[in-house]
Amino acid sequence: MVVGCGNCAAKAKSGGEPETEAMAERLRAKGVMVTGWMVPPNGGSLCKLSAVRKLLNEEYQAQSQAADSFLVLACGQGVHTVIDATGARMVHPGCDTIFGGETVTDDFITEYCSLCGECVLENTGGLCPITLCAKSLLNGPCGGARDGKCEVYPERDCGWRLIFDRLRELGQEESMLEFQPPKNWLRSSGPRNLSMQGARADFSFANITVSAWSSLDEPNDDEPEGDTA
Amino acid sequence: MKLSTRFAEAGFLVTGEVGPAKGADASEALAGAALMAPVVDAVNVTDNQSAVMRLGSMAVSHLIKEEGIEPVFQVTCRDRNRIALQSDLLSAATLGVENVLCITGDHMVLGDHGEAKKVFDLDSVQLLAAAKGLSEGRDLAGHEIDSPPEFCLGAVVNPGSDDLEMQLLKMRKKIDVGAEFFQTQAVFDPAAFARFMEKAEAFGVPILVGLVPLKSARMATYMDQNIAGVSVPQRLVDRLAETKREDRKKVSIEIAADLARQMKTMCQGVHLMPLGWDDVVAPIVELAELGSTPP
Repeated sequence: MVVGCGNCAAKAKSGGEPETEAMAERLRAKGVMVTGWMVPPNGGSLCKLSAVRKLLNEEYQAQSQAADSFLVLACGQGVHTVIDATGARMVHPGCDTIFGGETVTDDFITEYCSLCGECVLENTGGLCPITLCAKSLLNGPCGGARDGKCEVYPERDCGWRLIFDRLRELGQEESMLEFQPPKNWLRSSGPRNLSMQGARADFSFANITVSAWSSLDEPNDDEPEGDTA
Repeated sequence: MKLSTRFAEAGFLVTGEVGPAKGADASEALAGAALMAPVVDAVNVTDNQSAVMRLGSMAVSHLIKEEGIEPVFQVTCRDRNRIALQSDLLSAATLGVENVLCITGDHMVLGDHGEAKKVFDLDSVQLLAAAKGLSEGRDLAGHEIDSPPEFCLGAVVNPGSDDLEMQLLKMRKKIDVGAEFFQTQAVFDPAAFARFMEKAEAFGVPILVGLVPLKSARMATYMDQNIAGVSVPQRLVDRLAETKREDRKKVSIEIAADLARQMKTMCQGVHLMPLGWDDVVAPIVELAELGSTPP
């Protein structure tokens, strides 16, 4: 059975209805028995477990039950949602999962955040050096930029040039002088969880859980802002 | 000996540079270092230069030291995380290394293993801070260490950068965390270097101007067009183009010596990067009278 995603993969033209149906036809043409295909309707995301469970176990039960395995045209989250929705059946990834980005226009998505788990944007004018600098440098540029372009990818702007231009615009050049200590990369080490069961969201990485600070909390001067362990 | 001690003694220093071979044989690098040794205060050993996998800088730095030549151990952030970097700094210290040049490192896309995972766990500023911390007896996690190493820490700066303000801010940051001397990217434009020094000398940290002997008109053009912050004046390209192949080394020496002569009074030393032409270092130093004229 071929499974697509009505949200990101559909927008990326790799797992929407036309692509998923076409993939089913291509497989059939190659002699593979395809029991059916499914894309969550109305722009639905494949990473929503309850919806996908309902689709595969009720609406598409016959096709799903008859399948030996599932070819998933979605990101890796979608692939795993199919595992969970089908009682741990066999899956095949049909897409390379690339990045989470800002949908600048309907047909263009670009990456401004690497989802690293420890935000540094306060001192960089809101532009992320982890993402925008080819070397993810935290304390300024490498010196290899040429005419404001990155030495590694000459068609791209130097991330630090963008940051510094913005700091200049904001009159905050001096914030570049602040030493940025080495990052806590543990916060970007998977698998990570976010639990929203309590009043605050709990973010877990490695064997550490931190509760997110919430602006809904009563002000408490003793408590530092940001995460509290 | 630490370069900081040498700066205090001599005021003006000359350093050279060797790049280890792609293979398990250090003899060429050692021969190159030996050739420069009589006229330089120290020899840099590059760390997988241009992101091309080679024999390591720690081993060659150690072997050079054994020969009685002072190495500057170059360490890049590209290939090792903070555990490996700090461990290598300790290892280098036990092998006699006293001078460490802390640099970001060229991106792997520019080298011969373009698909390698990028590390850059630390950047050059954080690496300097880590090395400084070790020499003060603590590691990056704040743990005390036994027998702290003693280092003189160096850093790099690009005077020809298209955004000098940003370079100078980062330079200041490097000094704040422990950089004791600077080597620059190759300079071919003394006027631009003078403009840089006008701002940078206020930091009061020794600066060695970087010089690369031009081997041919083609190399000069390549550097001008492809190396960031490096511009090679057309008259130098033309002069090399007009030079017969057998005279190129002589002209290369003359050009480098001329640049050194023009810039030596502006700074505290010259860093020569001969890129394999190890035999040109001594003639350049002699012709530019670098040994005898501290400013």
